[in-house]
Amino acid sequence: MVNLTIDDKQVTAPKTATIYEAAKLNGIAIPILCHDKKLKPFGACRMCLVEVEQMKGRQIPACTTPVTEGMIIRTSTPDIVKARKMVLELLLLNHPIDCPVCDKAGDCDLQNLTYEYKVDANRFTDEKFHHEIDYNNPLIERDMNRCVLCGKCARICDEIVSFGALTFISRGIETKIGCEFDEALNCEFCGSCVSVCPVGSLLARPFKFKARFWSLTKNKSVCGYCGTGCNLTLGVKDNKVLTTLYDENQGFHNGQLCVRGRFGYQFINSDKRLTKPLVRKNGKLEEAGWDEALELVAARLKDAGASTAALATARLTNEELVVFKQLLQTAGCGNYDHSAGYAHAALTEGFAGSFGASASPSTILDIQKSDLLLVIKTDAYETHPVVGFEINMAVKNKGTLLKILTDKSGKLSKLPDARTLVHTPGSEIAIINSLAKVILDNKLVDASAAALPGYAALEKELAAFTPEAVSAQCGLTAVEIKLLASAYATAEKALILFPVGQAYPGHTAALANAVANLALLAGKLGKEGGGVLCLSEKNNSQGAVDMGFQAGIGAGRIIDGCADGSITTLFLAGENPLVSYPDHARVQAALDKVEFLVVSEMFLTETAAMADVVLPVCSFAEKEGTFTATDRRVQHIKPAIRKVGQSRSDFEIFGALIAKLGGVAPGTPASVFAEISATVPGYTGMSYASLGVEGQFAPVELKPAFVMPNAPAVTVEPGKLALVTGSALYHNGTLSQYGEGPMHVCPEGYVEISRADAAASRFAENDLLTVSSAGGSMKLKAHISARMPQGVVFAPYHFGANPVNQVWSGAPVTWITLAK
Amino acid sequence: MDQILFKHNRPDRVISFDEYCAESGFRALRKALTGMSPEEVQQATIDSGMRGRGGAGFPTGKKWSFVPRDLPGPRYLICNCDEMEPGTYKDRVLLEKNPYLLIEGMALAGYALGVEHAFIFIRRGYELAAENLRRGIVEAERAGFLGRDILNSGFSLSLEVHQSAGRYICGEETALMNALEGRRANPRAKPPFPAVKGLWGQPTVVNNVETLANIPAIIDKGPAWWKSQAATPDAAGTKLFCISGHVSITDCFELPLGMTLGEIIDGPCGGMRNGSNFKACIPGGASTPYFTKEHWNVPMDFDPVAKAGSRLGTGGIVVFDHNTCMVAVTLNLVRFFARESCGWCTPCREGLPLVQHILERIEAGYGEPPDIDILHEHVRHLNHAFCALAPGAMGPVDGLLRHFKDELSEHISGKCCPFRRDTTHTC
Repeated sequence: MVNLTIDDKQVTAPKTATIYEAAKLNGIAIPILCHDKKLKPFGACRMCLVEVEQMKGRQIPACTTPVTEGMIIRTSTPDIVKARKMVLELLLLNHPIDCPVCDKAGDCDLQNLTYEYKVDANRFTDEKFHHEIDYNNPLIERDMNRCVLCGKCARICDEIVSFGALTFISRGIETKIGCEFDEALNCEFCGSCVSVCPVGSLLARPFKFKARFWSLTKNKSVCGYCGTGCNLTLGVKDNKVLTTLYDENQGFHNGQLCVRGRFGYQFINSDKRLTKPLVRKNGKLEEAGWDEALELVAARLKDAGASTAALATARLTNEELVVFKQLLQTAGCGNYDHSAGYAHAALTEGFAGSFGASASPSTILDIQKSDLLLVIKTDAYETHPVVGFEINMAVKNKGTLLKILTDKSGKLSKLPDARTLVHTPGSEIAIINSLAKVILDNKLVDASAAALPGYAALEKELAAFTPEAVSAQCGLTAVEIKLLASAYATAEKALILFPVGQAYPGHTAALANAVANLALLAGKLGKEGGGVLCLSEKNNSQGAVDMGFQAGIGAGRIIDGCADGSITTLFLAGENPLVSYPDHARVQAALDKVEFLVVSEMFLTETAAMADVVLPVCSFAEKEGTFTATDRRVQHIKPAIRKVGQSRSDFEIFGALIAKLGGVAPGTPASVFAEISATVPGYTGMSYASLGVEGQFAPVELKPAFVMPNAPAVTVEPGKLALVTGSALYHNGTLSQYGEGPMHVCPEGYVEISRADAAASRFAENDLLTVSSAGGSMKLKAHISARMPQGVVFAPYHFGANPVNQVWSGAPVTWITLAK
Repeated sequence: MDQILFKHNRPDRVISFDEYCAESGFRALRKALTGMSPEEVQQATIDSGMRGRGGAGFPTGKKWSFVPRDLPGPRYLICNCDEMEPGTYKDRVLLEKNPYLLIEGMALAGYALGVEHAFIFIRRGYELAAENLRRGIVEAERAGFLGRDILNSGFSLSLEVHQSAGRYICGEETALMNALEGRRANPRAKPPFPAVKGLWGQPTVVNNVETLANIPAIIDKGPAWWKSQAATPDAAGTKLFCISGHVSITDCFELPLGMTLGEIIDGPCGGMRNGSNFKACIPGGASTPYFTKEHWNVPMDFDPVAKAGSRLGTGGIVVFDHNTCMVAVTLNLVRFFARESCGWCTPCREGLPLVQHILERIEAGYGEPPDIDILHEHVRHLNHAFCALAPGAMGPVDGLLRHFKDELSEHISGKCCPFRRDTTHTC
């Protein structure tokens, strides 16, 4: 700490602080335009000028100048005020001053500072800019006439997003922020640039002319898409979520969001939302009252008893899952599951065996503290973009080494010094076993490992996984495997990341065991910045595991049970298996066969359309409860708007049904959370108050052991292409189809093929190709890219209109042919 | 006075490597590498009183002493040859006649600093100079004066010529480093200073061509001899003055530092052109406030010029006679700076075009009395810019306001430029 004087006040500040940070820490506000705490100091706008006595009374920028011991600083002398006014006058010289029609009005730094410094007239005159406004995409409007050239957009796109869509072009007064060759913006549309823009140059088009900033109610919430658990601020007016607002102090991510978090909220107030219960009458779904619908469901549950089964989405709150379980138990139903069964197996079976706990031992906060990140599949960026930003920052700012083990390269591969090892699809478990083998052979084993249960057995079982043997089937050389193993083992703090989800059937319990073995052997657990983090797919995937929403025969066999008649009644809470579960024909046949299908849903999904009763439920923005993020951060959500139409929360629906079945309906979400905190390991002692705004980590108690994973044999079908499924950039499950942002970035399914394969078959971009597998065939547009290795194709799974499960039967690798 | 930098010059061509060697070329390097420690080379530079010839006049040896020797990783030396200040062309003349002095100077500086890789960042337009340097480097490498283990001393240095993509701002040392790294040539915030964190984040020294070209003489003949080549006891060494404007002979002269302005104009420049009268001059490149007749006897050395309210800068003297409109001169200069602003910080990007427009208005006869106040305010305010470009741009405006206020007022009250009254321009 250093001592300094700011405006006659004796204060202390950390050695590394800038004058601006030191002042802020001590409650002294210095005006800024170009500074952002997430970005590197810039010093361009000259609003933050202060006087430092030791520097001959010169005016220096507070945002770039580090503090030194004994500094005497003045932040607002008459001279400084004059200089700041001058800066504002100069900025307003070319600015259009079109505040009445600017969406930024009320939230605009330039406007607020102009007001604060009482710049009521401009002594200067000059011509206004006449830059053409970029309306070329539906999400981000770029009006460079309003720009103050703070550079924050270009900097965030480079420093955090690592896309680099924006930059300064030209010089002098003609300087502006532009894209490649001064063309239209064409990027991932995460909107980070919009969030940091201090003026109205970059605006969210979906929000344009929807409301004035000051008329919005700002409600804190948690994003309802992926397992990252980003904090959101929803802008609400007239019971509608009209936008998401940027709050740089929110969450570990400092308000940073991806395209679905920022531009994917439209599903909340979508016209397509179901507002009334639907009951099938004479073969058609017709609107009905809640009493009628619930009565029908209750009667059916009573009758069906043990032949009932249920599948839930991992988007329900913890409390809803607990109450759903209670309902099913009341009804005598012993078969329920979530996430297609296999998408949580890495946790429920894998980590449970290896760590003695169904949760990841590490958190997202470890990423930036690590020395080496081993990322399995670059999809970590696509499935969890904000985790991707953390990886970007670790690599670019902290010099963290990045190693990627993947079946295709991706955006993470482009980071500085990133080493991408592209392997044959389906061989990742064998490779990780081989890494463990190298660590064993090279005596890189941590001292703690030998004492763990299963060590001797592992040593024996790994004998077959020499790098030489594995390299023969995985597409990597033995040297590559050895180098990766020694880099991993010798890093002081190393963290392994891998995504799981319905599109990653290969990321199984066995992968989790293999990864855990590697981390345990090398002694990477228990250190800050080291360990293993499994990135779960939905916003409450970890919660569904923690709540134990899984009993009986499992999701796959529930579907089979419907088909063979052993299950007569199926209750689907938010799950859309027709699109997201493997093998479309099999799911279709099962849902056709099942006698009674109840679906609680926000939308009339492909699955809901087949139901006998559809119960309209509300979104995360309309309910209360808790979500558990992928790193076991438990977060509290409160309603931001009243429930849309007659929709009810799943909590209310399940409670009403319990009552109708003669049970005791739960009280409130709060009382259920109290029950959870009393019974669920790790949640002990939690309360809404202790969760606070940013949530609380549920500790994971580890009882490590070595569990030998079964590495599936890598098969190859000559003459065919290996289809791997996954998440498209910025989609998540099937919900993101109802968000404008994700649908702009990626509106429909596609099949991504390598240039070499495309050239060999003379496929062109956007050609409609017939994809045929043993399971069926479908048509998908061709997308040719440099990132795919020859012989491997990729298809995302989110799209209900043309789901990829028509050709994909749940195998990690599906062998297909393509034809025009 | 002896010539130091132009001593070897051939009138019509570049000196050859053999000729340079024959005229005791690379003797200083041999002397340093065989008999002097790097610290001694640095100390000699400090003792010589050498001040940087690029414009700011910072003591060169002191600059070197700021470089921490204990940080891991390489250190870099960059020669700033992005000479683009209007009125300045000394580095071009020097390098077109003799690239070897710079090469030897850089080898000596590299030895003093413990640098293994040095760059010459040269202006895009200086094709001949760049060609001379490239050839010179190859010749020096072949002769063992560059490359690995120079003269069996264990010291290695590779020298690389980088031709700038070309912009005035590239001459600002931190913008230059950004340009060299392949980034947009914006200046960087200081601190950290380049001596600690410069090129690719490593300790870096940036010196001007003329500065480095003087090092061989300092080492060869000793700092005391070198210092004594100046015209006054306070000054040190010689200086390349490049003269342009309304004098009889415009050329680049090597003259003792500390000669008065009058001695320079009446001496080597042969007096004013065609009997015209001296009105003013830019004393040290476009960013320095004007000198007038009252400064005729000011010694052209760093401190005396600063004391007289201007800067010696690069030594690029532009002389104006009595028929010159100083508003037009200032406008011309400000136009250059406004165009060359990198656009990074508000005062420079927005303020310079505004000053330009005001001067345009005044010159065209549309000026208003408050314009003078606005100009005054900008002279002060542009000091708060990110780098030295904007304060430098205000040098001539400052000079205009201090020395030619009446001429400025005359423009405004007469609603036209008084120097155009008798030409085709009608007011």
